[in-house]
Amino acid sequence: MSSDYAVTANALVKNFGSKRAVDGVDLSVPTGMIYGVLGPNGAGKTTTLRMLLGIIDPDSGTRILLGQSRPREASDRVGYLPEERGLYPAMKAREAIAFMGALRGLSWAEGRTRAATLMEAAGLGAVVDTKIRKMSKGMAQLVQLLGSIVHRPELIVLDEPFSGLDPVNQEHLEALILAERDRGATILFSTHVMGHAERLCDRLAIIAGSKRRFEGTVDEARGTLPMRAHYVPCSGDDAVAAMLPADAMRNGKGWRFTVPEGGPEPLLLNLINAGHGIAGLTMERPGLHDAFVRIVNNAKSGDDA
Amino acid sequence: MNRLLRQIAVIARRDFLAIVATPTFLLFLLAPAFMLSFGVVGGSGAAQMGASSAEKARIVAIVDGSDAKRLTAADTNRRSLYRAGEGPPVLMIAQPSDNLNNQVKMLFNSKTLDVTAVLSGALSNPRVTFKSPSKRHADYLATLADDVVREGRTGLSLEKRIITATITENTAARTSVRGQQASGFGAVFGIFFLTLLLAGQAVGTLAEEKSNKVIEILAASVPLEAVFLGKLIGMFGVSVVFVAFWGGLAALGINLLPPGVVLAGFAPAIGAPMFFVLCGLYLAMAFMLLGAVFLGIGAQASTMREIQMLSLPITIFQVSMFGISAAAAGAPGSTIATFAEIFPFSSPFAMAARGATDPAIWPHVLALGWQALWVGITIWISVRLFRIGVLKSGGGWRGLFRRKHMTA
Repeated sequence: MSSDYAVTANALVKNFGSKRAVDGVDLSVPTGMIYGVLGPNGAGKTTTLRMLLGIIDPDSGTRILLGQSRPREASDRVGYLPEERGLYPAMKAREAIAFMGALRGLSWAEGRTRAATLMEAAGLGAVVDTKIRKMSKGMAQLVQLLGSIVHRPELIVLDEPFSGLDPVNQEHLEALILAERDRGATILFSTHVMGHAERLCDRLAIIAGSKRRFEGTVDEARGTLPMRAHYVPCSGDDAVAAMLPADAMRNGKGWRFTVPEGGPEPLLLNLINAGHGIAGLTMERPGLHDAFVRIVNNAKSGDDA
Repeated sequence: MNRLLRQIAVIARRDFLAIVATPTFLLFLLAPAFMLSFGVVGGSGAAQMGASSAEKARIVAIVDGSDAKRLTAADTNRRSLYRAGEGPPVLMIAQPSDNLNNQVKMLFNSKTLDVTAVLSGALSNPRVTFKSPSKRHADYLATLADDVVREGRTGLSLEKRIITATITENTAARTSVRGQQASGFGAVFGIFFLTLLLAGQAVGTLAEEKSNKVIEILAASVPLEAVFLGKLIGMFGVSVVFVAFWGGLAALGINLLPPGVVLAGFAPAIGAPMFFVLCGLYLAMAFMLLGAVFLGIGAQASTMREIQMLSLPITIFQVSMFGISAAAAGAPGSTIATFAEIFPFSSPFAMAARGATDPAIWPHVLALGWQALWVGITIWISVRLFRIGVLKSGGGWRGLFRRKHMTA
């Protein structure tokens, strides 16, 4: 089991004082995949990642990281980009990357060589020997990311890696994550930006209200919601509304509604037979965003109830 | 173990270079030079004032012709026993006037001279008046008068000795107890001064990591014990540079002085070379022990203001360790000495002092082991406090001594 999964967590619980930050979270991150941990702010994503990495201990539950029940034992094979970025401002970029590599068992000399190569590839070749304090926030963030992969880890944990990056650097980062996955690394990252998760994740978990509410592929997440249709009748008659599902809403000349469980065909047949005709029809597949909002809202209402 | 040592070395190297490879370090290194130069300027000013006042100081004998000559001879004879600058003020002879009381009063009120004592009247029954606190000067004048009268009555010249003493130096003699205790106190003070100057800085070393969030990276990469110990070793490396620089300069200065001037009376019971080795080891232990305490306390602080607030109790703690150890140095074998030698945070100071008065080696081996154990214990406690108080991990304060095992 441990070779199939880079990370497994079982019933992790963490309390901060009287507040339960993580409540029985289970995770299984398959080896070699990009795995997203999604959730709204304060859902417990960061606390979960910190427990998995051994930065903090759970109050109860178990975790296995790269086959080790004590995450610290595997730390040389893990790369980590924390949510709150941290670098020594007086260090030069190359040294900062080499330092992070050295912490994970890479020699300083090798770390410096790899740092230069990585920076060149990331478009930071001109600032290899620039001090961190003189770099822009985005640049410093990329440097830190490079520092978390310089030792070629088997598992890369990225906590909100896209926050604070401009669109160009976000694309750089996406490419880098894909390249690391192609190298064979497992990537576990947290985000609340659905676009990145949708494009990158092989599998994902949604955490809300301290609990895991969903686990599966992006398609499976989207599949939790029915399809939506945008229908434009030939006639402008409002009587068509009576034939449409209850959630139908006018949208310009047309109507937007949830496709009934049996599929759209019977409804469309009825509309044609009633003389409304079809001037336009678009079937819309719900996005991860919609699925996320619904799962989070369900979690909220469930918790409130 | 190798992995842990490597991780400690990475942290230590970073911290050492982060301090040493900056222009600020030069200021730190040269700080004692500023202190010394201010001391020299202040001291020379004070010495100049002292010399100027000494130049004007006088003791006066109001005597006539022949008494004046004999009194001057007695003064020359007595003064030869004093080292330069240590004797009474210069003797001035004044001829008696008609109104002796008025003359004495005028002498004390002189605006050009600082008269401290005046002898008047017949030498066989002199009257000596002095200005407080110069009673010793009055005694000196009375002794001179006594010498002159004694010479006159016995006929034995003051300049010629009536016996011949053989004076030799006993170079093989065991050093005095006072000298040993002074050596012990010197060691206590030296180690205290250096730790006060250097170990106190450990209090703020984790503040950098906390403020720029690097602590998260460190905590995820290496055990916190490695972070704490690495930081201490890095800081100790800085201290070694500092001590080596100033120690080298001091050794050079001592070499230039005539032999025996500086280390006169310095002969620790354990032998000078071993004493210096022990002082070095105890300095390292004092630094690591106090540094670990300061690092642990400082790690709990979240702002520079809090760190500054912590400086006072930290200094008081250091000074109290010095006080206990200084008392131990002055009373070897006493209860307080035993306490100071056993109490982990005063032990390095007190044991260094013990080296000056006790030739046995084994207590030092034992003490160094004991102190190293406490370095480990202090770091262990500091790390747990940090995990609980700062990282909010480990199940609250009750979990301080609870070891959690997470298994699959």
